[in-house]
Amino acid sequence: MFALISVGLTLIFGVMDVVNFAHGEFLMLAMYLTFGFALVGLNPIFALPFVALAAFVLGALVYRLLIRRLLDGPPSTVVFGTFGLLVFLQGAAQYFFTSDYRSVPNPPFQGTLHLGNVALGEAQLIAGLGALVMTALVFAFVEFTEPGRALRALSEDRVAAQLMGIDVQRMNALAFGLGTACVGAAGALLMLTYPAFPRVGTEFALTAFVVVALGGFGSVQGALVGAILVGLVEVLGGFYISPALKLIPVYALYLVVVLLRPQGLLGRR
Amino acid sequence: MTPRSQGLALGIVVVALAALALGYHNAFILNLVFVGLIYAVLGQSWNWISGYAGQISFGHALFFGCGAYASALFAVHHGSPWLALPAGALVAAALALAVGFPCFALRGHYFSIATIAVAAIAEIAVNNIGALGKANGFEMPILAPSLASLQFNDKGQYVLVALALFAIAQVATVTLERSRLGYYLRAIRANQEAAASVGVDARAAKLATFGAGAALAALAGSLYAQQTLYVGPEDTLALPISIAIALVGVVGGLSTVWGPALGALVYVALARYGGAVLGGQGHGLDLLLYGGLILLIVSWRPDGLAGIGRSIRRFAKRRSAEAPA
Repeated sequence: MFALISVGLTLIFGVMDVVNFAHGEFLMLAMYLTFGFALVGLNPIFALPFVALAAFVLGALVYRLLIRRLLDGPPSTVVFGTFGLLVFLQGAAQYFFTSDYRSVPNPPFQGTLHLGNVALGEAQLIAGLGALVMTALVFAFVEFTEPGRALRALSEDRVAAQLMGIDVQRMNALAFGLGTACVGAAGALLMLTYPAFPRVGTEFALTAFVVVALGGFGSVQGALVGAILVGLVEVLGGFYISPALKLIPVYALYLVVVLLRPQGLLGRR
Repeated sequence: MTPRSQGLALGIVVVALAALALGYHNAFILNLVFVGLIYAVLGQSWNWISGYAGQISFGHALFFGCGAYASALFAVHHGSPWLALPAGALVAAALALAVGFPCFALRGHYFSIATIAVAAIAEIAVNNIGALGKANGFEMPILAPSLASLQFNDKGQYVLVALALFAIAQVATVTLERSRLGYYLRAIRANQEAAASVGVDARAAKLATFGAGAALAALAGSLYAQQTLYVGPEDTLALPISIAIALVGVVGGLSTVWGPALGALVYVALARYGGAVLGGQGHGLDLLLYGGLILLIVSWRPDGLAGIGRSIRRFAKRRSAEAPA
């Protein structure tokens, strides 16, 4: 699950060299949208394509209307701009949806699978598999299609890519939309196991930053590896230290990685 | 503004607020003024490192919390609050140096995210340490009101104490702006390599500023705890507090003397209608407006409200210069 959220973040970061602090808030919006679909009786799995599409449009719009303006300024402008977006969206969610926790009514997949003596919730399993499939799809898109190649070219050398006739504005919008679509899909899957509330995004976004730093900013494979590692650290930390403290090793991991190996485990510099 | 007009402006604000504190006994309004002053000081301490030096911190609540917890611990263990003030400030400054020493090697958003991570670790740790009250925090004992116990019957006296701290912060900022360090910081923000090449020790300058700002934030935290007499992780250390501090700094205008005060004014005014002051969740309208305001400011006026004020003054000056004598 973290993989999918992080892939979205890493796409935006890698291609545009922009960090989106409002990434978690897009996740939050996607979860509310899925919740809305669920209220009219649509299973989150079937709502996923619609949510992802809506997220794509939202991301591209946000890029066109806001981020593009910010890119002209000094780098801190983007930090503050996306930070403002974070506060704005969180406030809007709190105002319109209140801060109550909302879960999908009559959630599907309530069963449990037993593999030997390991018990797995069906919902978790499906959410995890879904995230893996979506990550693979994004990977395939970036790796094997024409626009995907253009995106990678941009993240490698912006000026050279521009000289080769790649439309930077269009590609940026595409990357931002795609990155947002990833969290959109993640939001839909997450609703299978997690409630939506206005501040849900912050927690996930912070972990996503750890994952992205770990895998190397801008690397899709790195994000996947990083996500698995972070998941392991979280579970092991929760098991061996204490469940209440499980996030400490995760955040500490971020500090260690950015200080000692800023290019990430798989990243190149 | 020249130092003299800065002093004049500060004098007017201090006299006006002191008069309000002594003459006006609406506890609700005075409480808002008090929180506004605390936020003005917090915004200012954030402005030093994130405005002037350009190192954006999203973990400033950590230092606010240091001061608040110092006050709470001293009160619970029968220590004088006047010892809690320097103790909290020292701990905060030491923490800032310990965090800053490795993390100032990071640039831009890498540093910002690191500050979030450090503050989050501290919050989780406090939530689980028995000696620090865990998630429940501390209720501080109520003492006989006096200057020695830093507890008062009248909200106005809290306002006076906060006002004193605010004045110190403002004077320190004007001094910083005109000092060698102030020029170093702006050089670092503009171009760290260039600054280093002309002999600016970037890390030392950033560390000094970060440590001083942390100490100032801790002092604000101590005063805040003296007034609420309750300290818990939710309303001193959590990410929303860090975000609120940064909000105050950005909205008012980065690297300006009066920006944080303006930002705090807007924050308190909005929070008054949003129903959320420090940590409360409210119904979110204030956050919505605040976020919208930041988006507008960042896209059109990166120097914030203080920058808009500057333009207006410049415009007025030009008008009066053009007017026939």
